[in-house]
Amino acid sequence: MKLLEYFTSADAFSLILAPLLAGLCVAVLCAVLSVLVVLKRLAFVGQGVSHSAFGGIGLAAVASVLAIIVAGPGSTLATVLGQGAAGEFAIIVGFCIAAALGMSAVGQGGGRAGSDSAARGGVRVDTGIGLFLVGSMAAGALLMQYAGALARSRGLSEPARSWESILFGSLVTANMADVQITAIVMVCSLLTLWLCRRPVLFYAFDETSAPVFGVPVRAVRTLMMVLLAVATVTAMKVCGVVLATALLVVPGAIALKLSRRVWSVMALSVVCAVASVLAGLGLSIELDAQTGPCIVLVLCAGFALCTLANWVRGLGYTSAARLAASSNGGRGLGT
Amino acid sequence: MTAHSFSLPKANGAAGVLSGPLPVQVSDVTFRYAGSQALALENVSLSVLPRERLGILGPNGGGKSTLLKVMLGLLPAPVGSTVRLFGESPLAARRSGKVGYVPQRSEAESSFPLSVRQVITLAASWRLAPWQRPGAELRARIDSLIELVGVREVADRPIGALSGGQMQRTLIARALAPQPRLLVLDEPTVGIDAVGQAQFAELLTSVHRTLDLTVLIVSHDLRAIAAGCDRVACLSRRLHSHTSPQGLTPQVLAELFSHDVAGLIGREQLGGMHVHAHGPDECCPAPAETLRSSDDRGEGRGGAQVP
Repeated sequence: MKLLEYFTSADAFSLILAPLLAGLCVAVLCAVLSVLVVLKRLAFVGQGVSHSAFGGIGLAAVASVLAIIVAGPGSTLATVLGQGAAGEFAIIVGFCIAAALGMSAVGQGGGRAGSDSAARGGVRVDTGIGLFLVGSMAAGALLMQYAGALARSRGLSEPARSWESILFGSLVTANMADVQITAIVMVCSLLTLWLCRRPVLFYAFDETSAPVFGVPVRAVRTLMMVLLAVATVTAMKVCGVVLATALLVVPGAIALKLSRRVWSVMALSVVCAVASVLAGLGLSIELDAQTGPCIVLVLCAGFALCTLANWVRGLGYTSAARLAASSNGGRGLGT
Repeated sequence: MTAHSFSLPKANGAAGVLSGPLPVQVSDVTFRYAGSQALALENVSLSVLPRERLGILGPNGGGKSTLLKVMLGLLPAPVGSTVRLFGESPLAARRSGKVGYVPQRSEAESSFPLSVRQVITLAASWRLAPWQRPGAELRARIDSLIELVGVREVADRPIGALSGGQMQRTLIARALAPQPRLLVLDEPTVGIDAVGQAQFAELLTSVHRTLDLTVLIVSHDLRAIAAGCDRVACLSRRLHSHTSPQGLTPQVLAELFSHDVAGLIGREQLGGMHVHAHGPDECCPAPAETLRSSDDRGEGRGGAQVP
């Protein structure tokens, strides 16, 4: 087994240590948020934000080339804005936060699908998300093309980010710098969420009533969008643009099938996400396949298993009820 | 029928007797949504006395929700209008926890993984510092509210496992948790069966008596209004009438609801009667029957007296 080799050799283990740690940090952060994403039906917002990252990646590519042109290759500015550096991460996160807040603002102006305000000529939430999604992707494609052209015209090497790694992630290439960024993001995000847990829960449970009780709903909504954008960009490292939403949806969906207690749901969601990252990483090493898709497939398999288990359990209840009815001489369930 | 304001009975000097600001004072509200030609509210003025139970009755699309949102400061008060809750701006009153709100049942996430106790506690505890836990006094208050609304047996169950009536009771307890002085109920009987509605009326009377609150009910359902209100304001863009539930004549109802009346009380109950042309001597059996049924339950609010 290839996987065993990584655990029996210190050199080999050091190769997967950074991907493992980065993956676990992302899993824990996304798992906690995914419960709120599922309950608030924000999955499409997550999808919109993750695809908006294209625009951020394009912008970061242009900024990186400009930094080399202005400050010279090897300069501090060029290093900070280089691929995988903190500056690039900040630009992508900033772009995604702007997109997320834009989607939220459009949703507030337009209302939900079928609502009065939508009928009065506003843009519906899903339409707004779709607009930001395609607009950002188009802008990202053009900006990346422009960055390449700019680099060529100055005789520099083109930005080397592959489309495959953007789309499906490149967890195995994560290094300790990535681990630091993901760990800091995870700790800051979870701490913020813990500090604001009560207003966030109130908002998530009943957004309509929350402002009447004095909950600052606009601030809480903005916070949610910022956290969602940050988590999405962090998850992109693991699963890529296309699959980043999976970590923000599926763990919460699985956990909500298993429990109806909010803190148990959170804990189960974390367990599911961590298990799927471990299993997905192991699977990708064994099969020599891409890590992101492996993790997502493990998550989906987990969801399917839970659905099946619930269905079988439901069948069990139905059979028991039928049995009770027949033993009751067909007089119903003894009510 | 002409539009007129609904205000304090000044003749007997009630305002002078009562100390402190009025729970609700709304003057000259004319509201139009952006991009819409039609007025949602036209020259509406309304005052609610301390400890009064006021029902705002009106058809769907009559401006009830808009008035409620303006009153609570969720929509901006139009220029030239005055909206005060306890003498403060609605925002200040909301922030200081003076307003308790019971939404339409469908608006809360019924599948949310919170227990009844957690939902009620959250309304009172969300203002605590993150590192503080609800104290003994708060927990005792939550327990007494759980007892008051009658959800003790289901207090630790997830809210997804509750019946419609139990969910409504939970939302009433949640509204009462921050110790408000004004309780606002938005369409409280939607989705509640007949038994649940009877229990709702009893509960509201009990809550009003126990906690000495001002209560405002907004509904298109006569039963919700008649079961628990001292006065009724009828709203259909303008404030058409204000009266005690006993004063809700068939003529008032017919004019208020116009086309909506058939949907309100059921076509089969209308029995082919023409609701537009009621004179003062004609009767409108369905609303009267509805109101009488609440009287039969001993709610003491009286039935609609058919002239």
